[in-house]
Amino acid sequence: MNKQLESLFLQVQKPSRYTGGELNSVTKNKDEVAVRFAFCFPDLYEVGMSHLGMKILYSQFNNEPDVWCERVFTPDSDMEALMRQHDIPLYGLESRDPIRAFDFIGFTLQYEMSYTAVLHMLDLAGVPLRAADRDEGFPLVVAGGPCACNPEPLADFIDLFFLGEGEEVDLEVINLYKEHKAKGYNKKAFLRACADIEGVYVPSLYDVSYNEDGTVAAITPLDGVRPTVKKRIIKDLNNCYYPDSFVVPYTDIVFDRAQSEIFRGCIRGCRFCQAGFIYRPVREKSVDTIDRQSHDLCRSTGYEEFSLSSLSTSDYTHLEELLDRLLDWAEPEHTNISLPSLRIDGFSEELANRLNVLRRAGLTFAPEAGTQRLRDAINKNLTEEEILETVSKAFKGGWTAVKLYFMTGLPTETLEDIEGIANLGQKVVNAFYANPDKPKGKGVTVSVSASCFVPKPFTPFQWEPQDTLEQLQEKQQHLVDSVHTKKISLSWHDAKTSLLEAVLARGDRRLCRVLEEAHKRGFNLDSWSEHFDFDSWMQVFADCNLDPAFYANRRRPYEEILPWDHLDYGVTKAFLIRENKLAHEATTTPNCRQACSGCGAACWKEGVCVENR
Amino acid sequence: MLKTVRLVFSKTGRAKYVSHLDLVRTMTRAVRRAEIPLWYTEGFNRHPYLTFAAPLSLGFESVAETMDIRLEEDMDYADLVARLNAVLPEGLQVLSAAEAVAKAGVLSAATYRLTLDCPAETVQAALAAPELLVEKKTKKKTMKTIDILPHFASATVETGETGAVMTVSLPCSSAETVNPSLFLTALNAFTGHEWTMQVLRLGLFQADGTPFA
Ligand code: SF4
Ligand code: SF4
Repeated sequence: MNKQLESLFLQVQKPSRYTGGELNSVTKNKDEVAVRFAFCFPDLYEVGMSHLGMKILYSQFNNEPDVWCERVFTPDSDMEALMRQHDIPLYGLESRDPIRAFDFIGFTLQYEMSYTAVLHMLDLAGVPLRAADRDEGFPLVVAGGPCACNPEPLADFIDLFFLGEGEEVDLEVINLYKEHKAKGYNKKAFLRACADIEGVYVPSLYDVSYNEDGTVAAITPLDGVRPTVKKRIIKDLNNCYYPDSFVVPYTDIVFDRAQSEIFRGCIRGCRFCQAGFIYRPVREKSVDTIDRQSHDLCRSTGYEEFSLSSLSTSDYTHLEELLDRLLDWAEPEHTNISLPSLRIDGFSEELANRLNVLRRAGLTFAPEAGTQRLRDAINKNLTEEEILETVSKAFKGGWTAVKLYFMTGLPTETLEDIEGIANLGQKVVNAFYANPDKPKGKGVTVSVSASCFVPKPFTPFQWEPQDTLEQLQEKQQHLVDSVHTKKISLSWHDAKTSLLEAVLARGDRRLCRVLEEAHKRGFNLDSWSEHFDFDSWMQVFADCNLDPAFYANRRRPYEEILPWDHLDYGVTKAFLIRENKLAHEATTTPNCRQACSGCGAACWKEGVCVENR
Repeated sequence: MLKTVRLVFSKTGRAKYVSHLDLVRTMTRAVRRAEIPLWYTEGFNRHPYLTFAAPLSLGFESVAETMDIRLEEDMDYADLVARLNAVLPEGLQVLSAAEAVAKAGVLSAATYRLTLDCPAETVQAALAAPELLVEKKTKKKTMKTIDILPHFASATVETGETGAVMTVSLPCSSAETVNPSLFLTALNAFTGHEWTMQVLRLGLFQADGTPFA
């Protein structure tokens, strides 16, 4: 296969995406390992290689002497055509062996639009799509990542899902697999045994029945498995495995830099934000740990830039001390620290100056909504005064560009809120011209980007209807009409993609048929607009007798059994209902550091839940 | 004046699919990993000084690539080579390091070994033809037809394991460069067959025939 592959590399765009052999990639002797794991990212190399979670698990698996983990990405169309033409099945980049012969094929599910790529990759690997059609002669197909919190649309294809953070539970499953291999491996018995591990969800061991109207009637555990499966968290991040090296790609990727994770979770609880709920509770790494891990990574990769990775980075409790420590070695070593948008107003002058000599990440804000009323409803704790104060400071410091992120279609939103977006953009423009020492001959650009709200599981908005396409398009038009200056450049996400996202995010198992049919019709890489064909998707739904509006645009009653009700992410339904009601009253909820609102995540007795307030 | 150090390195195996742009990035990171006291340019966007003499086409292998760097403080060249080789990815290896003597502008020719999957006789027949025409991109990006035979006048052809093996020296300067892949295009047109060819660059030379160093 190798020789044949080599002949293909020169016929495709950016061949180093398919060759393997990058710095720090891990090669082992296949005869000396017990378990071969194909870690699949269902998107192109450039996207997958930028993903921190994959880097962590890749290194951690390979840290085990008898496990060999390889990377697999979706080949681009040109490579795929050649692979099919020459009968080359999907292979692991490190060994170039077909992954069909591996023990595990694992997918990370980062966004719903990658689901077709999952099926596509299984197909390219030469593995039957449906779990029931794969016997002991095929690899186990597993999946994790944020979308695993409602994995039902993929339930028929995946043997088991990992819920929550993977570092511990993945290895527990791999170790159990080794035991079962040693005493004669039977897939059914193995899956049954896995179902007893906390954080492992085996969908085939739960039966789902439906009411006449299409809602879920019951989710019944089979074979004596637990009625609910709880996610896993890592309790102590300071003592948790973190890679001291990353694979350094040859080709340019989306985030080509070292990344240091500084904490998990988010204290804020913006009501639309799934990440803000499913990663609770907030757990921080210490300054010492971050400093050491960052420096190790920069040394082993040679990266000239690294970023601090977390949700809402400015909430790190010792940020100033951390930056001070990092700059002590980063400056002399010519290493840039890239920071996501921060509340720079809290920094000392000296630190702000030191950061200024390094590359600046763009100045961005995510007010998400245009009026204070709507920001209160979604619990986005950012006021107009704060934004204007910060941009004014930044304009004084010589900045000339600001990016503002908003969402349209939020629950309770009216056209007045849409106008608020344009007004806020205008006020930022005005703030620039109000600066007496603005740079001569330079204008300001305020980029306003509007995405469409997608209701997600495990958020207070999980019951909310998504606006219909017509409503979203009307709001987009209203936004265009409300902007009266060329200094504001508008952009928005395609509402059609958001509709499909909304369907898949809160879908049930009946969508497996839809995905299978979509796959048969050749859908792949739907997160790329050039591949996404909305009308064909709608045809698939019609042919499968399922209505997208049932999933996306319907208000679900609190009593309805939701397709993910048997999964437990710590955050309770009672809390989410409370938050949903508060949203409709436009009442905010304090963040976890101000006060505990009893969301349920305190069950782990970790992190912010047990901090002194 | 800072000394310029010229490193000679090979680019083979999986590394042959690394494009020139990616190679620059890869090498920059390698010297950083090796903790070599690189000299950084001054100014707002400081970057290390790193230049390459004659970019190699994607898919070619070479045992004679050069990269010039500048050091902030002097160091032992053997140590420099060892430190770099300890951190380079598969397929990239530094062969030697020395103070650069010649300027990149004096580069004049490159020698190649071309390994084909056709018999040596086929290559010899092509070389014996009255002319071997092929389309070539000019500097102005237009196409023109040239006869490449004069460039292959001194080529030697032998029979290797898989077929013909040719050794040839071709122009490689800012004024004129002949890419060895032109020969394959011409050969395929001449024979009406789709042969394949592996390219290995063997050396870089100055106009007087001495190695570029
Ligand atoms: S600040 Fe809000 S939007 Fe950002 S991660 Fe936290 S909860 Fe989500
Ligand atoms: S239990 Fe309280 S402190 Fe802990 S995550 Fe929930 S709201 Fe925050």
